[in-house]
Amino acid sequence: MIRFVLSRLLQAVPVLLLVVTATFFLVRLAPGGPFDAERAVPPEVLRALEATYRLDRPIWEQYLAYLGDLLRGELGPSYRYPGRSVEELIAAGLPASAELGFWALLVAVGLGVAAGVVAALRPNSWQDHLPMAAAMVGICVPSFLLGPILVLVFGIWLEWLPVSGWGDLPGDKILPSLTLGAGYAAYIARLARGGMLEVLSEDYIRTARAKGLPEAVVIAKHALRGGLAPVVAFLGPAFAGLLTGSFVVETIFQIPGLGRFFVQAAFNRDYTMIMGTTIFYATLIVAFNLLSDLVAVWLNPRLRDAFGESSR
Amino acid sequence: MKLPPPPLPEAERGTSLWADAARRLARNRLALASLAVLAFLVVVAILTPWIAPYGYEEQNLALGATPPSWAHPFGTDIFGRDLLTRVMWGGRVSLAVGFLATAVALTIGVLYGTVAGFFGGRVDAVMMRLVDILYALPFMIFIILLTVVFGRSMLLLFLAIGAVEWLTMARIVRAQVLALRRREFVEAAVALGLTRWQIIRRHLIPNTLGPVIVYATLTIPSVMLLEAFLSFLGLGVQPPRSSWGLLINHGVETMEEYPWLLIFPGLTLTVTLFALNFLGDGLRDALDPRSAKD
Repeated sequence: MIRFVLSRLLQAVPVLLLVVTATFFLVRLAPGGPFDAERAVPPEVLRALEATYRLDRPIWEQYLAYLGDLLRGELGPSYRYPGRSVEELIAAGLPASAELGFWALLVAVGLGVAAGVVAALRPNSWQDHLPMAAAMVGICVPSFLLGPILVLVFGIWLEWLPVSGWGDLPGDKILPSLTLGAGYAAYIARLARGGMLEVLSEDYIRTARAKGLPEAVVIAKHALRGGLAPVVAFLGPAFAGLLTGSFVVETIFQIPGLGRFFVQAAFNRDYTMIMGTTIFYATLIVAFNLLSDLVAVWLNPRLRDAFGESSR
Repeated sequence: MKLPPPPLPEAERGTSLWADAARRLARNRLALASLAVLAFLVVVAILTPWIAPYGYEEQNLALGATPPSWAHPFGTDIFGRDLLTRVMWGGRVSLAVGFLATAVALTIGVLYGTVAGFFGGRVDAVMMRLVDILYALPFMIFIILLTVVFGRSMLLLFLAIGAVEWLTMARIVRAQVLALRRREFVEAAVALGLTRWQIIRRHLIPNTLGPVIVYATLTIPSVMLLEAFLSFLGLGVQPPRSSWGLLINHGVETMEEYPWLLIFPGLTLTVTLFALNFLGDGLRDALDPRSAKD
């Protein structure tokens, strides 16, 4: 197990290096410098600025310097918010985004697993068809459509919940969390159903039932562990999806989170901010993928050999 | 004079995989209905320049935003432009992105996967390791980065999305080819002296088509979603061009006063996604009976 963890950690290094390198050189390819303002800047000021941002040195030197900064946890100054560093801006946006992500993940896993397990217990009955039809709707209605519809119905027509904001009014976290989590709840429901159906036909479940264990114990103790393996494996990609989904949801509900910062930085061409956030997001995603792989293996020891084979 | 070969007696004629699949698909009413819906949408999208009821940019400021009526089935926007016309034009972009980007992904993925699976060994190990690494990248973020760096163009959108979606295709094809190349018919082809490229083209790729078609059908909706997502954020298709994502974005801005501007583009996108997903599920059940849901 330790060897497995180490090998996975080692695999993450080239991924992160690739992310940093690709991001760095892509941004350098961008047309126009960061100081192309409407009014011309005097040449000496421009030189001073370029020296501050190390733009006067050869590109490979800039690259190595940036790598060095990254290792110290520095992401450089923002081009658009002078005097503020990218890591400060990320720290400012992160709490709201992290909380939104947490609630959305809770919605996704809670609703998804419940629906999937219920469906798998009575295949081809209405308890199966109803949640699966709902899941199909969840997959086909994208978050940028679901969000506005929820706002229209619950915020504007029924006036039950606030239409925007984060932590200002009671209940203003409900709609964003639902919007972000619903699509993933749908995928998880399908995965949980499939996984549970497979496990429930295994011999060890028959054995557990034959021992005379109550059905609830068979499900909760024996079936769930194996049946939820596909769900756990999906959590890594789901996390990446939640991050990008937060761009839309934070924009719709005007949540002052990192996702909105990222989209604004993309519009403003705030290159250092884009680079910093991209690298930050990539690291998070790689870390979460790793975690979800580890949990999957912990849940199902048989996977250990499979992983060992595929990584060779 | 050459006589046509005598027809085989009915009982001895084997059913090909495709005939068998078509028969199974024909029994799936949901998938057939989806196919009909999609065919309708594609025909409408192709014919839009001739059958659209109004001009795409035809404004009628005196009319302003009106709810659906006989003259304007989907209503009009704040400039008095006919929404049905705009949804039709937007559909051309959305569907084109969906199909073309999937075609890009399909081509790269099938070639890459076949080569990796056919040569195996070290070539395979290196190629698939690269796929593993690319898999771990946050591509959505990279596409946004690309649109920022290179400006927002349709071509970039196709290429970027296609470049993201080929990875899974490559994996599926590679797994298929790995299994296929140990089969006797490949051995026979080698014995007959066919070149590697001939074997790949004539014997391996056609045999991977089943799963590839299924996956492609499921890739189209995810590509269309990606495009709509980017356009919604304002990073995809740019006005005056339109796509369903962009129309939804505009609809959201005024949904309180003119909800139909959000509802109709949203409904069209959702129906399309439904149809593609149902068709994909249906094709999977038809082409690979073993994976059918019980």
